[in-house]
Amino acid sequence: MRANNYNKNADFTCKHCGAYVSVQKAISGVLNRNHCPYCLCSRHVDLFKVGDRLCACKALMMPVGLTLKNSRDKYAHKHQGELMLVHRCLGCGDLSINRIAADDDPAKLMAVQECTSVDLPNLHDICQAQGITLLSGKDRYLMQSGLFGKPAAQAAAQMSMGC
Amino acid sequence: MQTKNTNTKIIGVVTNRSTGYYTVSHDGQFTLCSLSARLWKDLKSARQTKKTRHGSRDNGKKNADPVAIGDWVTIIPANDREGLIVAVAPRRNYLARRTARPMPSAHAFEQVIAANIDQVIPIFAVADPAPAWHLLDRYLVTAESYEISSTVVITKTDLVGDPSAERELQMVVERYQHIGYPVILTSVVNQHGLDELRQTLTATTSILVGKSGVGKTSLLNLLEPGLGLRVQAVNASTGKGRHTTTHQEMFTLRIGGAIIDTPGIREFGLWELVPEEIADCFPEMRPLLGLCKFGLSCQHDEEPGCAIRKAVMDGDISPYRYQSYLKLREDR
Repeated sequence: MRANNYNKNADFTCKHCGAYVSVQKAISGVLNRNHCPYCLCSRHVDLFKVGDRLCACKALMMPVGLTLKNSRDKYAHKHQGELMLVHRCLGCGDLSINRIAADDDPAKLMAVQECTSVDLPNLHDICQAQGITLLSGKDRYLMQSGLFGKPAAQAAAQMSMGC
Repeated sequence: MQTKNTNTKIIGVVTNRSTGYYTVSHDGQFTLCSLSARLWKDLKSARQTKKTRHGSRDNGKKNADPVAIGDWVTIIPANDREGLIVAVAPRRNYLARRTARPMPSAHAFEQVIAANIDQVIPIFAVADPAPAWHLLDRYLVTAESYEISSTVVITKTDLVGDPSAERELQMVVERYQHIGYPVILTSVVNQHGLDELRQTLTATTSILVGKSGVGKTSLLNLLEPGLGLRVQAVNASTGKGRHTTTHQEMFTLRIGGAIIDTPGIREFGLWELVPEEIADCFPEMRPLLGLCKFGLSCQHDEEPGCAIRKAVMDGDISPYRYQSYLKLREDR
């Protein structure tokens, strides 16, 4: 079945915060803009694959946590992939994993996991059931290295140890 | 050549149409006719009249061409072979589309494809050319809007190779059968499904519609041996049909009934269907209309408490059909 050829170049207004979001690759750093870079919210519009626009739910998808993409290197060894944002649909509770864009608010990304662990106490179990391992407070170094690079994450770790 | 009395009026059915000329069948004879001055005037005035998108279906001079295939007409024969169409009988029903526009801003007209038909037969090939199932939904919605029944025919089933293509075909067949549309799988190469198709066509006036290259005329050649209609293989480099059939024609079937062959249709725009009526043309959505939170005002797009969206989420309505609905709404 062919995917729906929706207009990937159409800018949009965030349904959650009302911010105008540009989908230009030069600004966002990704080919397919998935979520608002300011509030990190998305919409449940895809069903079987990215961009098919077959889902009738259309509810807001809130960011609930961060995870690492499961990937393998060219020798088939498991290694830590890029940092991914986990969204949960407010309408049907469906979970999805999405790439982080270059212009996503880093402070919001760091705060995502702390906010949702309070609101959804059993979130880790829900995610685990779908094979998604959420990063916790202990994985702060991984989050920082994913967002700002290893030198910055090491510097931040040393600062926190010094305090 | 014998000259007939010009006062003799004959009633016949239009079986062929080319620019300005119509072939009318009556008493086993065929007469080549042109339009009378009055009907020609109707045609010209219709082309000059600006039309609104939301019009009633019986507003007189709205058709770009007053005579369509399947119309019952009154002719005055000039001689054995030629005549003049002087009147068109009221139509039982008809199938129309929006004319293809050279540019989006250009004004579109109504194009009546055929009149007085019993069923629409959308034809789609499994491959060569690749099927566009959204186009099938357009045909089905148009047929529903004119209250004409439809039977889906899928051709070239011999081209189903890998299991994934077979699975996809099975899904499509189940999707439309679940709604209530009969689906017939055929193959001209294997001569598969022809008996089932013959049964469907018996004693009815049917119209074959579909993209160029799907095998409409090939199927017709097999159903009615002796027609010898010209067919061609699809273009190997583009995978598209070659528009071999260039005019519409009605053929009488030996098994009873008639069939109208049409040229390949690449674009099928809905005519006179307001967005609020589109959901009513989806049989699976019909029972849910009015059950939404906003009642009949619901557009079934993003409104909360929409019964149709809930049915899609529950798996009662195919997401592909729902997407077709949204596309058709967007297109209006």
